[in-house]
Amino acid sequence: MYNDAEKQQIQKIIEQKQMRDFLKFYTNLIERCFNDCINDFTSKALTSKEETCIGRCTDKFLKHNERVGQRFGELNQQLMQQQQQAQQSQPQQSSGRWF
Amino acid sequence: MSFYPFGGGSSGGGSSGGGSSQQQAVNAQNVAMAENELEMITDTFYRIVDSCYKKCIPPKYIEGELNKGESVCIDRCVAKYFEVNTKVGEALQKRGQQAGVGGAVTGFGA
Repeated sequence: MYNDAEKQQIQKIIEQKQMRDFLKFYTNLIERCFNDCINDFTSKALTSKEETCIGRCTDKFLKHNERVGQRFGELNQQLMQQQQQAQQSQPQQSSGRWF
Repeated sequence: MSFYPFGGGSSGGGSSGGGSSQQQAVNAQNVAMAENELEMITDTFYRIVDSCYKKCIPPKYIEGELNKGESVCIDRCVAKYFEVNTKVGEALQKRGQQAGVGGAVTGFGA
C-alpha cells in the first residue's frame, strides 16, 4: 500500500507525534490528579492524604489507560477485519475505514 | 508504535534496505492520508480514555488498582463507544448520500 520511502516518512511522522502525545499525556495526568486530589489550601505543602491520593490517582489512570488500550486494539482489529471482509464481497464501496 | 498502548493494525513493520528507498517517489497525498488516519485514530483513542474515565472511575481513589466493577465498566464503555462510532458513521453516510456531503456537514445548501 505504501512504498518504502513513504513508509519511512510515515514512520518519522509517527515518532514525532508519539513524542508530542507523550508530553500531552504527562501534563494532562498532572492536571487530572491535581483537580481530583488537591482541595486543601491551608498550607503550601501537600498533606499526606493528598500525597497518597496523588499516588493512587496516577496508578489508577495509568492502569485505566492500559486497559482501554487493550480493548481498543482488540476492537479496532475486529473492525478492520469486518471491513476487509465487507470490501471483498462488495468491491465498489469507497475505502473509508471508520465511516 | 511503542507509546500508544493499542499497538497492532495500521502500517506494519519498519522500512527495508535503505538504498532502494532513496530512488522511490514519495506520494505526498498518500503520506497525508496516512497522517490524517493516524490523527483520527489517536484522537478517538484519547476521547475514549477521557470519556470512559469520567463514566467509570469515581474520583475517590481508595486504592491504586482498578476494582472488578471499574474494569468491567471500562470494557463495556469502550465497546459501546465503538458501536456509537459505527452508527454515527452510518447515519452521516446516509445523510451524505441524500443531501450531498457538503450540505449535510456544513449546513450550507448545495
